[in-house]
Amino acid sequence: MRIAKSGNYGGRRLRLRLRTPLVVLAAAGVSLGTIAVAIPASAASKVKPVVTVWVDSTRVAQVKAYEKANPGVKVVMTVYNGNANGSGYLQSKISLDNRVGAGWPDVVFSEENNDAASLASPQFNYPAQLDNGTVSKTILNGFAKGTLAGCTVNGKVYCLRNDLAQNVLWYNSALMTQFGYTVPTTWEQWQALGEEVATQHPGYIVGGIGDGWDDNIYLWPSECHVNDVLKADTVDINASDPNCTRVASLLDPLVKDGALTTDNVFTSSFDQSFTNKILMMPGPSWYGADLFPGLVAKGDLGAADPLAWGSAPAVTGEVGGGLWFMSRHVTGATKTAAAQVLTWLSTNYGSQGISPGFPAYVADEAKWTAGQQASGQYSTQLAPVFAKAATEVWSGWSPVPWSVDAVWGSSVTPSINASTSIESLLPSFASQLTDYAQSDGYTVVTKP
Amino acid sequence: MSSVEVNKSQPSPGSTDVVSPAGNNKEKRGVAGYLFVSGYFLLLILFGVAPTLYALYLAFTSSGGHFVGLSNFINTGKDFRFLPAFENIGEYLGIWLASLIVIVLGLALMLHSLARKVSAAFRFIFYLPGALAGAASVLVWLFMLDPSVSPWRFVLSGFNFHNLGQTIQPSHLPLIFAIIAFWAGAGGWIVVTYGALNNIPNELLEAAALDGAGAWKTALRIKLPLIKKWIAFMLILAFAAGTQLFVEPTLVSEASLGLISPAWSPNELAYVFAFQNNNFQYAAAISVDLLILGLMCAAVLVFRTKLFEVE
Repeated sequence: MRIAKSGNYGGRRLRLRLRTPLVVLAAAGVSLGTIAVAIPASAASKVKPVVTVWVDSTRVAQVKAYEKANPGVKVVMTVYNGNANGSGYLQSKISLDNRVGAGWPDVVFSEENNDAASLASPQFNYPAQLDNGTVSKTILNGFAKGTLAGCTVNGKVYCLRNDLAQNVLWYNSALMTQFGYTVPTTWEQWQALGEEVATQHPGYIVGGIGDGWDDNIYLWPSECHVNDVLKADTVDINASDPNCTRVASLLDPLVKDGALTTDNVFTSSFDQSFTNKILMMPGPSWYGADLFPGLVAKGDLGAADPLAWGSAPAVTGEVGGGLWFMSRHVTGATKTAAAQVLTWLSTNYGSQGISPGFPAYVADEAKWTAGQQASGQYSTQLAPVFAKAATEVWSGWSPVPWSVDAVWGSSVTPSINASTSIESLLPSFASQLTDYAQSDGYTVVTKP
Repeated sequence: MSSVEVNKSQPSPGSTDVVSPAGNNKEKRGVAGYLFVSGYFLLLILFGVAPTLYALYLAFTSSGGHFVGLSNFINTGKDFRFLPAFENIGEYLGIWLASLIVIVLGLALMLHSLARKVSAAFRFIFYLPGALAGAASVLVWLFMLDPSVSPWRFVLSGFNFHNLGQTIQPSHLPLIFAIIAFWAGAGGWIVVTYGALNNIPNELLEAAALDGAGAWKTALRIKLPLIKKWIAFMLILAFAAGTQLFVEPTLVSEASLGLISPAWSPNELAYVFAFQNNNFQYAAAISVDLLILGLMCAAVLVFRTKLFEVE
């Protein structure tokens, strides 16, 4: 979902300025290191099964909660960057482990929603299939409708969703009242209001476009076809599709007049510039608990339905959401324990109750929303907005083995920052995505 | 006086002269020498030569172990990230090597003409940033470059950079990485070059002064030609290290939450091939490309400066 602002440099193997042939030696070294860590742990506890769990910093609390509630299982936790922003860190580790045939994490959390497509591919062949009895049907059926779609590869379920990250329209209700604005329901209204804000209240913003995941916030809800997998290995990439250009031409003027900031929302410069200056912000459900506290005064944060395009029914996108995988390499008692860890973390309220994201597991939703509501942060009822938005996620934005966000972040975001219009950047965005798709063996088509 | 004569009096980087106490017989000298070299030699074989040979093997074979000729090289060369990565590194090397020669030599020559105590203080100051390990120095620079936390915010805002994204625009990156490399690496080279300058016999400098050579002329006509082997040595190492740039772009990409392509430099591209596409053959091909580049640069410099010649 997000990585810590300070980054997780400590645990990474960064001294790779050696000659690259050494990657192979590094491979052996890393894996030997992992084995060396694992052996004393399993030897020390003869009865307790030992489960290695890798999570991002945001998920640490959930794992600690598991340890507390389940003293019968010993958890060896490793904190990593969550594979966010197309870092590919998890893929690196898995391919090293595959090479030496040991060292895989038993359970792993990933922020990258495309990871099932990537990790279950023959290249990595890492996750265990879950719908073959590893996780019970009751549990699998307990996830909100469609939420396991991204975990399903060739009809088999390979992961469990941690949370839904459906986009809604966040706003500061106190500021909206103070300025005399009404909350928009369409993108067109939102844009017109943004233009008004830029002239009437300069310095206030109606959204942000400085992050590597803004494609999910603006292009996805516009039904822009840049990663629509039509059938296995065939993907539709067409950024000159009117659905893509309409949103670009809507955003460009707002970037120009400053109503849409190019600051990355998870940086301290954003905090400095926009505390109490965010009028509106389209963004994922987890922004409420994770981003806005401190930026919007307590009790002023409202959530509204996702914006629609004109009179068409609204659709929305998702930013992250997070997936829990289990290794196909675990066996015996560890396998049972790992499956239990996986299930507990993704479904038990003890874990989901402290997750900043809206649970994908239906039984936890009402309780989680009530808990959020009780925090006093919000001026509106979250439950109806989140529940509705969860059903409106557009299905044409498919999980693919390459990271669309990484391409957006490294090719489009920097140029927006350098005042290039988004519309003019779309062709190069599409051509880079095409390059990635083709290098992953996909056939790229451009549907009109 | 010709420079050839002078060279006799100073050991050059490639020199194999062993100064041994008088009276030792030749055999004993030999054994001690081998003993001293053996530790390094063992490590060189294990961690230098063997991986290089393995990379060569991988680069010319398929994942099934069949010989495939140059196809790994051709396929990686055709990859859409290949050319941009080498362009990036070329631009970076241009800036870094030029500044290394001009500024390092300039500062070393300046230090050499200063009084001993002042010069020692400056050498210490120049060397300090080099004491930080690679990754740590990048972190320092991440703070320097982020306008929201940088102590040099006013300078950054003078360039109209108001957030990290604006500072690390793709077109700025070669310069930024060159600045980081210079800041972390130049101090060490200044000290080395200063040491080389110290090896120039005083009588030579005095003779030059008597002949009417000023500071400028002495530096250009006497000092620089006498330390050209050190300059070549510095360039070979800096070039090899520069083509293998990895930590800087990787960390900046991570810190900016992905605002830089994960395959910015050839070494990063090799990493992506190896660990994200699980294609160690392609990764090996790129590392062999880099090896060839480094060897070519070294060969040119070695032959032109007669680096290994011992008179």
